Amino acid sequence: MAETKGSGLDKNNKYDRQLRLWGDHGQSALEAARVCLINATATGTEILKNVILPGIGSFTIVDGHKVRGEDVGNNFFLLADSIGKSRAQVATELLGELNDDVTGNFVEESVETLLESNPDYFSTFSVVVAINLHEKALLQLGGVLWEKNIPLLVCRCYGFIGYLRLAVREHTIVESHPDSALEDLRLDRPFPGLQTFCDSLNMETMTKKEHGHTPWLVLLYKYVQEWKKTHDGQIPKNYKEKNMLKEMIRKGIRQNEEGVPELEENFDEAVTHVNSALVTTRIPSEVQALFDDPCCTNINSESKTFWILCRALHDFVHNEGNGDLPLRGTIPDMTSDSERYIQLQNVYREQAATDMTAIRNRVHALLQSLGRPCGAVSDNEIKTFCRNAAFLRLVRCRSLAEEYGTNTVNKDELNMHLESEEGDDLLFYILLRGVDRFYDEYNRYPGRDNSDVEPDIPKLKTCLTKLLHDWGLSGTVKEDYIHEMCRYGASEVHSIASYMGGVVAQEVIKILTTQFVPINNTYVYNGFLQTSTTVQL
Amino acid sequence: MAATLKGVLQGSLADNVKNSKILVVGAGGIGCEVLKDLVLTGFKTIEVIDLDTIDVSNLNRQFLFRKEHVKKSKSQVARESVLKFNPDVDIKAYHDSVMSPDYDVNFFKQFTLVLNALDNRAARNHVNRMCLAADIPLVESGTAGYLGQVTVIKKGLTECYECQPKPPQKTFPGCTIRNTPSEPIHCVVWAKHLFNQLFGEDDPDQDVSPDTEDPELTAEAGQSALQSEAKTDEIGGIERKSTRVWAMNTGYDPEKLFNKLFRDDIKYLLSMETLWKKRRPPQPLNMTQLPSDTDGNSSAIRDQRQWSVKECANVFSDCLGQLKKELATQGDGGMLVWDKDDETALDFVASVANIRAHIFGIAMKTRFDIKSMAGNIIPAIATTNAIIAGLIIMEAIKILSGKIKSCKTVYLNRVPNDRNRLLVPCTLDPPNPKCYVCAPKPEVTVVVNCTRFKVGALQDKVLKSYLGMVAPDVEIDDGKGTIIISSEEGETEENNDKFLSDFGIRNGTRLKCDDFLQVYSLVVTIAHVEKLEEEKEFEVVGDLSELQPQEEQQQAANGSKPHNGGDKADEKEEEDDLMLIEEEEFEEEQQRMEEETRTTRKRKASSETEPTTKRSKTAEAQAAAGDNDVIEIS
Repeated sequence: MAETKGSGLDKNNKYDRQLRLWGDHGQSALEAARVCLINATATGTEILKNVILPGIGSFTIVDGHKVRGEDVGNNFFLLADSIGKSRAQVATELLGELNDDVTGNFVEESVETLLESNPDYFSTFSVVVAINLHEKALLQLGGVLWEKNIPLLVCRCYGFIGYLRLAVREHTIVESHPDSALEDLRLDRPFPGLQTFCDSLNMETMTKKEHGHTPWLVLLYKYVQEWKKTHDGQIPKNYKEKNMLKEMIRKGIRQNEEGVPELEENFDEAVTHVNSALVTTRIPSEVQALFDDPCCTNINSESKTFWILCRALHDFVHNEGNGDLPLRGTIPDMTSDSERYIQLQNVYREQAATDMTAIRNRVHALLQSLGRPCGAVSDNEIKTFCRNAAFLRLVRCRSLAEEYGTNTVNKDELNMHLESEEGDDLLFYILLRGVDRFYDEYNRYPGRDNSDVEPDIPKLKTCLTKLLHDWGLSGTVKEDYIHEMCRYGASEVHSIASYMGGVVAQEVIKILTTQFVPINNTYVYNGFLQTSTTVQL
Repeated sequence: MAATLKGVLQGSLADNVKNSKILVVGAGGIGCEVLKDLVLTGFKTIEVIDLDTIDVSNLNRQFLFRKEHVKKSKSQVARESVLKFNPDVDIKAYHDSVMSPDYDVNFFKQFTLVLNALDNRAARNHVNRMCLAADIPLVESGTAGYLGQVTVIKKGLTECYECQPKPPQKTFPGCTIRNTPSEPIHCVVWAKHLFNQLFGEDDPDQDVSPDTEDPELTAEAGQSALQSEAKTDEIGGIERKSTRVWAMNTGYDPEKLFNKLFRDDIKYLLSMETLWKKRRPPQPLNMTQLPSDTDGNSSAIRDQRQWSVKECANVFSDCLGQLKKELATQGDGGMLVWDKDDETALDFVASVANIRAHIFGIAMKTRFDIKSMAGNIIPAIATTNAIIAGLIIMEAIKILSGKIKSCKTVYLNRVPNDRNRLLVPCTLDPPNPKCYVCAPKPEVTVVVNCTRFKVGALQDKVLKSYLGMVAPDVEIDDGKGTIIISSEEGETEENNDKFLSDFGIRNGTRLKCDDFLQVYSLVVTIAHVEKLEEEKEFEVVGDLSELQPQEEQQQAANGSKPHNGGDKADEKEEEDDLMLIEEEEFEEEQQRMEEETRTTRKRKASSETEPTTKRSKTAEAQAAAGDNDVIEIS
């Protein structure tokens, strides 16, 4: 794990509570990351705070604004005496105090100027977070980052509304941490080691204690073999057949002299596991989609490690794997004497190790054919990949250019929300686009002054009509929503900034650690109703 | 500030915010965020209370603290940090327990709102009662890893924190710990008990020697005879002398201790043959003949590598030496307090737990994992706390705008659910008319054996620990007003060792229990039974009407399981079990909880139209999740 530097504190202790969520390798990935924030608003500094505390490598604030009184009122990381100073500088200094192990930098320039003078500037970052960018600069930045496949998170807090958009061309995840995953036991297609082990155990000749301590996995294997004999080699497929198998297992419980069945917990466990353990081993559709992806079929010298691993996995499945993914190699706890449990554990482990070796050989061969050193992919990486083979995920977002393009806008989705009876969170997305249109026209946001609220309502309504017209949609946004939006007057409420600061930072961490699946691609939070929605735009 | 909020906080709301007085209970992960959010939302008068001091492991999220603040008062440092950034706010900090009598109902009455940012159930129960008594709205919250929850409690309008019975905090039967461990956690608990037996406070409930009173043993005739023989035999000495005295007499000699704990005691356990008829018998270890090292995965760091038995034995020896020295520095009658952040104390527990696990054929664990189990560590990150704090403030704003009826219980999921929702808001439920806390005349039934249950246990285990009272007074409702427990020091201590039956308490006796501080009165009806299942000493049954007919029936039928009413209560509990997420560490919680909660919650959140009621959700969750002992919130 990362050694002690900077703070002089033991990082294992300092980060103990989070290491339990994403592990040492997740932490190392965080510590190697360079995060860029554009515009140190309250929302911006909240996001940074939440990634600086867990210890990213460095952050850079790009912000050409000077601190105004309004900023100090809702931003914890600006002080009253910072008014008039560079917002980037003040925020960098105060945020830097949060964690000595994190390096802070700033550029006192607007993103527009920076894109103009040095478009490559952003290419060195691991992730870019942009707050409150106007459409033109946003699309320009989006284009640059898209080109380089650097994830861009666009965020905005407007009154009681929070908005987040992830734009990344391709993000691959090995450790997706699925909520519920079935064990990988292969009872339907037992591998040779499992067969040999189970066949070596004879239930008939066991002592009473051995009989009651034979792992349920072995019992299930044996009863399935017996079942297959009378069912064309098929495993029980449906509810009825599974119940019949359960009955068979129950009959296997030993009886005492009086013919009363003994209490054999392992048999009970075998019965309860019939449904969850007796599943058809197959390639999950997400993984099959990876195999069919051109990135996997056309490996070249530019290919990312993930795709080389995918290709090796694909080739393994079609050769050594006989159609199956590598064995995960773990078994659940069960009633058993420890000797046979450990033996059984080893049977699974050994097969997993064999599979892993086969894949490693394929990875090395692929690397060699691409002229790369074998060390380019570590054994640990291959091991993690194999263990997670069934959970690999790929996120490809739609680009901002597609979202904003008149011909490529996701009309159907927007129309659905526009027409929904109760009105939902996505209406606020449309309204946010509407107030941007308003800004283009009037060079200010609606309702900035209290006196503007009423007169701005029809103006915003007109902007929305034009917007919807451009999208080819005929619906309208209800008046009270428009009123609400004008009332917000583009204010940044701190509690909403705090909330979104947490949400966006969490997505940043998911992306940097490549663990868990990030939101794809738009998230809208309604602070007053405490509701939120995720959609693809 | 007000500038940005002029439109958003409409009309009198901005003034309400400015003029309100807020109590924040807890200055930890959620507390730090809440304090910041309050100040930046325009709140001017805030008080914060926390008894804790700052630890290194807080710094990854409690952003008001720096490394130079370690070991200082959380509430005071939090106050100073906030003032540094916002000098024009009035913040008062108390480095104290909110359960102290100094914070009585009048103290609570001065606030407009109370915001909980706590990490344990006892304090949550207490603040709940104080807010009910003072009739002040309370925003309750909690986080665990990626999960979180916020809810609002208002007397007479919503459920209180205790309206739905919580799943009991996980404890293990003594005989499982002492005689027949089957899971790693059992070995960890035993190891912590051993630490206390050897170096810490002597607690008779934490005995580590073989338990000859194991109900499994007495179940079979003839067995007791066999045992008493064994007892007087070679191992008789162990029975009579306390572990502490014996260990001290040996000078904490590692080999002698090892061989007593892991060889002789295990052999003695083996002599209780009944225990091993259906179980894998343990295998005694001799310190000089340990299995040789295998699985030399020496590349991994110490914390995350599985130690071999031999290594554990070495660590055990080293720790004994060090702890003995530490104990000596405490002087006569001194003792050590086990702390998960104390390296030696953790090493000791990790080595002992693993040796015992090996003996019983239980999976051994890494030091990293054992820390989590022994310290009841719940993962905690900045992001979740920031999200929850934001939600808390939004609920507070609704309360201040007079819209408490539109407040919600909000659950935060780990990832958006099947309906693309990261947040699941639920309407608030009305009070449970049978709640033993907020009902107009709260009542419960306590099932015990009156001839074996002592007054002291009634006070400590039932009234304080289980029913959350701080300083109870108890009077028998017998027309004579016999006081058996008084909150005044020295008045009734002599009663503590007497049995309930000594005071004529029997089936059907009513006890009037009062907690003056909490302004809380509860009538406890005693239901006498000869024996409770699973070694339980007592059982609290909420719904009297459900219990009584069955009790009578049972007694009439002379049934052997007279606590059927208890089972009934358990069922109810499962249906209604609400999730309660403690903020950081809390007692007797298993580390798997995060996953379990998550699974349950996901299912729960996915299928209902929202907003919906908690009750139907939880019922669904139960149906889906089976009997996972899921956690918690509010």
